[in-house]
Formats: sequence, C-alpha cells, structure tokens
Amino acid sequence: MGKRTIIPFGPQHPVLPEPVHLDLVIEDEKVVEAIPSIGFIHRGLEKLVEKKEYPEMVYVIERICGICSFGHGWGYCAAAEGAMGVEIPDRAEFLRTIWHELSRVHSHLLWLGLLADGFGFESLFNHCWRVRETILDIFEETTGGRVIFSVCKVGGVRKDVDADTLKRIADTLENIKAEIKTLCDVFLEDVSVKNRLVGVGYLSKQDAIDLCTVGPMARASGINQDLRYNGHGKYLEVGFTPCVEEQGDCYARCKVRIDEIFESIGIIQRCIEAIPEGAIDVPVKGKFTGEFITRMEQPRGEAVYYAKAFDPGKETNYLERMRVRTPTNMNIPAMVKTLQGCDLADVPMLVLTIDPCISCTER
Amino acid sequence: MAVFKMAKVVLNRLFQKPATLMYPVVPREWTERTRGHIDIDVDQCIKCGICARKCPTNAITVDRDASTWEIQRMQCIQCGCCAEVCPKKCLSMAPEYTTPNTIKVVDKFDIPVKEKPAPKAAPADGAASGEDGLKCNAEECVYCGLCAKTCPVGAITVDRGEKKWEVDKDACVQCGACVDKCPKKCLSL
Repeated sequence: MGKRTIIPFGPQHPVLPEPVHLDLVIEDEKVVEAIPSIGFIHRGLEKLVEKKEYPEMVYVIERICGICSFGHGWGYCAAAEGAMGVEIPDRAEFLRTIWHELSRVHSHLLWLGLLADGFGFESLFNHCWRVRETILDIFEETTGGRVIFSVCKVGGVRKDVDADTLKRIADTLENIKAEIKTLCDVFLEDVSVKNRLVGVGYLSKQDAIDLCTVGPMARASGINQDLRYNGHGKYLEVGFTPCVEEQGDCYARCKVRIDEIFESIGIIQRCIEAIPEGAIDVPVKGKFTGEFITRMEQPRGEAVYYAKAFDPGKETNYLERMRVRTPTNMNIPAMVKTLQGCDLADVPMLVLTIDPCISCTER
Repeated sequence: MAVFKMAKVVLNRLFQKPATLMYPVVPREWTERTRGHIDIDVDQCIKCGICARKCPTNAITVDRDASTWEIQRMQCIQCGCCAEVCPKKCLSMAPEYTTPNTIKVVDKFDIPVKEKPAPKAAPADGAASGEDGLKCNAEECVYCGLCAKTCPVGAITVDRGEKKWEVDKDACVQCGACVDKCPKKCLSL
C-alpha cells in the first residue's frame, strides 16, 4: 500500500471552467477520496430580492449563470406568474421554449468543447465553439444579447420574432446539423477519445437514485427523468423523446448530451412550425402576491425556483424570499462518488462530465 | 472504431474562410436588435429619474439640480430596462458596443433647462387622482407643496390655503419623484 498524499485540485486549474476546489487523497495513482469545497464566487444574488422590485429582479436572476441564463429567467418568471396567477399567451410560451432549447444546444456544444479541451483535443474544442457561434448569432439577432438575453419578463416576453426570422432559424439549424454530426462522430467513434471516456467514472442506476442525481447525469445511468414532461413550456404539445443511456460512464454522459442536441433541434423546428400568431405578453400590475414553487429542466438538469411574497395585507413590490436550487448542487455528491477509486489522470473527465456550473450553485 | 475521424473536419476547414474576424481591423456587423449601449436624447429628457431608480445596477444618476444625466458605462449591463420604462422614450438602445477601455468611463450629458408647463386646471375638490396612477392620502397630507415643486412636468397643484391637492392625470408621467420627496409619505403610485 502506497503512502497517502493530498493533492489540491482547483479552484484555478487548466481543465476547470469554473472554480471548484477538490482535495484529492491519492494513494499511488488512485484517488481514494475527494473532498469538494465551494464558495469562491458567492455573490448573494438571492438576497437582492429585498432591494430590487420583482419586475427588475429578472435581470438579476438571469445573471446567476451565463450559460443557462434564459432558463433561470424563465424559471423565475414562471414562479412569479404562478404566484400571481398570471396566464401568459401561447406565442410567448412557444418563444420561451424555442429560446430555452437554443440555450440547451449552445450549452451542450460549449460543454463538448470543454470536454475536448479537458482531454487535450484542442482543435475539436475550437470546432465545437465555432459551431456554437451560429447559435449565439441567432440569439443576438432575435434578442439583442449573445449570452444574457433579457427577453423574459413576468407576463410574457419582451421581443417578438417574425415568421421570416423563425423560418431562417429552422433552416440554419438544419444546415448546422450535418456539421454537428461530423463533430459528434469524433466524440463517439474516435479511438483516442473513446479510450478516455468508455468505462471511466461508472455510476450505477441505484447510486444515481441514492445520490439524487439530475439531468443528463441521471439519464446516462438509465433513469428516465426529464422535467420537460411536467408541463412547462410547449414540450408536451410538440412532443419529444428523452435521451437515456444505460452504461453510466463518461461515454454515456457524452452520448446523452449529443443526442439531446439533435432532440432540441427537432423541438425547435416543431415549435417553429406550430407557433401561433398573437400577443406576446399580458400586463402584470400591482404588488407581488402569493407563493409558488416551480421546476424546470435546465441543460444541466432539474432546477427548482421558489418565490414568496410578504404576508397577505403587507405585500410590496419586493419578494420576501427567492430561492433557486440548481442542478450542479445535486450532482456534486455523485461526482465525489465516481471520483473514489479513479485514476488521477481521469479526474478532469469526471469533473467535466457532471457539467459543473459553480456560478449557479453558489449564486 | 475509427482512427482519423478528425482529419475529415480539419481537411474540410483548410479550404474555407477563417471563422474569426481580424479584430479590430475588420469591423463587426451589428444586428438591428444588438444591445450595445444606451443613448439619450437630451432634448426630450424631463429628469424624472425613473431610469435611475429602475436600473438593476444603479449605473444611472440623474441630478435634477445640476440638470445632468450620467451613466457609468462599465456598470451598465445593457439590459434595456431604462429604455423600457422611460416615459418620454428619450432613452434608446444603440447597437454598437462602447470602445474597450482600461478605465471606468462615466458619460455625462447636460439636459437643457426647460420652463415647466403651467398647471392646466384650477384645483378641484377631492384628494385622490382616480383609481390608477398617483394617489394622495388626504388625512396625512400637510399640503407642503414639495411634490408640486419636484414634479418634472408640473402635473401637481397644491393650494395650502384651501387645503387642496390635485394631479393632472394626463400630464403625470408616473415617475414617482414626488413619492420619494414627500415628507409625510402620503403619496403612492
């Protein structure tokens, strides 16, 4: 038995996109234990509900994270709309679904790039991000922002997208599909990539259930759990198939995300076909009332949004409490579990395949 | 199992244009909706200060005494909230990004001083302005007239002798400047 050593990993590390710190207890080349610690980018955004009126709070909530910013904005608006009993128009819900799925495509392409960078495949990383630019250009054209969109508001959306632009988006996505397919083939079939992914970081279905994993991490271990089934957005109307894999290793997690890219493109195209004409928002006036909890499927998994007004009779334009539970929060225990017994060289793969977003986790 | 999967992608890209632009030699093309920076039409501004109050990052300062409107460019997050709430629509989102900088830039605009429009009607009975908009709680009001002095559009009339408070609903832009100024906190929007 070798001597035990502790290697600090992060918060600043070449393979880490975000600051998480791991104390890796090493015996020879094997990781015996991993002790995670976070707290490097806590910004106290939830506390800001006391300072910002509820319509302006959307801008703050969107800035929880740069990658799933639209999802956070939507989650908050859905919670506020639920609390106040606001029904939003169909067209707004369709537009939200389209933007959210575009976010998922860009998030997964970004993640694929980071994964390629993690195992040292620089050119693959650059190509993934090149394709992602097309999605960002669509965002800029339709919302005005490339990363933070500021289009979601309590009561609907701020900007409409005309039929020509929607058709162009559908065509663009059809065109880049072939390009994404070529890149995804490298991830799924290239021998050097497979050597880094297949069989690495196995998480059994039972462990995934016990450790409360969410999102692609859970789906890669055979759990068919997708919050898009719960009725938010227009997913049930246009239909979709959740992407589930059984193997539970890094390769399965990669495959789930790749399949989701194509599934999302399909959802967007079906939404564009089905989108009705009509208003894009309803006026929401008065003080914030009620209490509501809502769940959303973000690119990284299930996120929970909770909004609460002050007691009846004392309502103001401010919320008493706003809470977001983010998917990475739930996937960290599973990451720690998979790290036990892995090779030191595989640590970056395991950290990356949960798609960590520490900005979301700490807020 | 394939070995040279990436070669196809690389060879294909060898004969195509680079995906990046030669910044800053080649200028970037902005879309119509790009949120680049906030512009102000100073002639339309009434210094109501709604933009400053609604700004999520407190990047805007409106100084009514000095008649200036200033924005901290680095603090601004280009959300467009100010342009949306501006009652005179004198704020707008321009597509070009501001020039990259190493210092924190504050842009200051002088607002031309305009004569306040004269109040339209003589004070009438009743202390409330109606169901929507600005309201005054007549029981708490001391008729000090600070609201009338603060109002950027001269929509409020206060007659201390007659104990009358009135707002011209058509002129009121609901900026809330009077609500902030009221010493008795008897005004509400």
